[in-house]
Amino acid sequence: MGKSATTSDVHALFHSLRSAYAATANHLKIIDLYIVFAIVTAVIQVAYMAIVGSFPFNSFLSGVLSCVGTAVLAVSLRIQVNKDNKEFKDLPPERAFADFVLCNLVLHLVIMNFLG
Amino acid sequence: MAAPKVAFLLLNLISILPLLVSSFSPDRPTDRRILVVLDDLSLKSSHSLFFSSLKSRGFDLDFKLADDPAIAVKRYGQYMYDGLILLSPSTERFGGSLDVEGVLDFVDSGHDLIVSADANASDLIRNIAAECGVDFDEDPSAVIVDHSSYAVSETEGDHTLIAADDFIQSDVILGNKKIEATVLFKGIGHSLNPANSMVLKALSASPSSYSTNPSSKLSSQPPSLYGTAISLVSVVQARNAARIMISGSLDMFSNRLFRAGVQKSGSLNKYEKSGNEQFITELSKWIFHERGHLKAVNLRHNKVGESEEPSMYRINDDLEFSVEIFEWSGSSWVPHVSKDVQVQFYMMSPYVLKTLSTNGKGLYHTSFKVPDVYGVFQFKVEYQKLGYTSLSLSKQIPVRPFKHNEYERFITTAFPYYGASFSMMAGFFIFSGVYLYNK
Repeated sequence: MGKSATTSDVHALFHSLRSAYAATANHLKIIDLYIVFAIVTAVIQVAYMAIVGSFPFNSFLSGVLSCVGTAVLAVSLRIQVNKDNKEFKDLPPERAFADFVLCNLVLHLVIMNFLG
Repeated sequence: MAAPKVAFLLLNLISILPLLVSSFSPDRPTDRRILVVLDDLSLKSSHSLFFSSLKSRGFDLDFKLADDPAIAVKRYGQYMYDGLILLSPSTERFGGSLDVEGVLDFVDSGHDLIVSADANASDLIRNIAAECGVDFDEDPSAVIVDHSSYAVSETEGDHTLIAADDFIQSDVILGNKKIEATVLFKGIGHSLNPANSMVLKALSASPSSYSTNPSSKLSSQPPSLYGTAISLVSVVQARNAARIMISGSLDMFSNRLFRAGVQKSGSLNKYEKSGNEQFITELSKWIFHERGHLKAVNLRHNKVGESEEPSMYRINDDLEFSVEIFEWSGSSWVPHVSKDVQVQFYMMSPYVLKTLSTNGKGLYHTSFKVPDVYGVFQFKVEYQKLGYTSLSLSKQIPVRPFKHNEYERFITTAFPYYGASFSMMAGFFIFSGVYLYNK
């Protein structure tokens, strides 16, 4: 009796989450997909290092940091562009995107240098 | 008229003196002068075979009586002799400036020594021997007696003339011809400290021998020296290559025992001539460095393909190492051939240990790869073989790690990381395009 109650609760939870997510704007969903792609790549690299060992440690750091840095910049773009966010109400979304591009340029410059 | 002529002649002679002084040097071990200290000048004739064998090998013997006040091995800080033979077992004090300390300084400076004790040896000789690592029996009247390994003879019935054939197994020390006949010995025995690694028994007594006074009754206590622990003749090779021979019998060197026939009791073999002459002659050749004196020159190392010695190696380099070893043959340096010289590449412990191969002309060489560890290494050659002078060479060389541009340009194990970084860049471009043009 309790078990079926909890499983139905979990189902109800997932259902409400999914329907709420479906309501978000399209451009935010694109950013979310991009973030998931970056994190998955980072996890794959960490698993590879756990198997093979950390020999060119600088290359490992560079690869992981590129993924993590990309994810962080995408998250900050999403925060600034989200219309429901009252803190950034007065910030034009073009300005946010320009900041995003410049920061990405700096990130990739550093990554290329550190990659060896 | 004669006086100015004599004065002129003297002046000429004095000018040759510096030449005489510089004619012997440690680098040219030929023409060596030996001081022979005797306590009885009749030894010159009774031991003439031994002395003439030394003279025939080019040594200059200087005979002096033990209490001669003119005895001196050192003058103005320079040693006047290259070897010392003390055949004066009963002398309490040497005349002149020689004493125990003087003899030990002589040996410490790299020169060779032959000491012979005998029955009733004096404290002086016992002290010299004790400082060299050999302990004679404390009882001054004790001699070696052996009731089952004595020399059969009509005259000596108390078994103090013993026949010994327990030689040290070394072709360097005793020559490559085996000593067939037994050696006659009559005198006192000594023991060696087992912790001393530089002193060796050249001639041991048989298990049935013991040290006692033959004219007195045996005491109830067992003798302090007995069995194979007794050494009749010992040799010492010091770390500075000085060689010392200590014998317990002066008669062993005499013409009488050189020429005597010998038959060991209990054995059917009867030898026309005892082994004394061969044993003493071969041993004196080793003592005076005519055999077994090694020198190593030209320790060289270089990278494979180059000929200059670099000042530093890198890890995983290939290098070649070579050294030349020569042995003094009595008149010249001849190449030393052996299969067991090894080199170590050492930093706190040997990372590489390789046996060197020889080309038969004294050149030993090998090649190996520098280990994957960086630091300051040494090439070490430590060669210690029974009867040979020990070689201890080392040469320091630093080893550095890879410079940052000596790695491969693209490391294969890092390809996933390269791929991830570039995919991030591509993802960024694609994302920007999609985001901007999304309706």
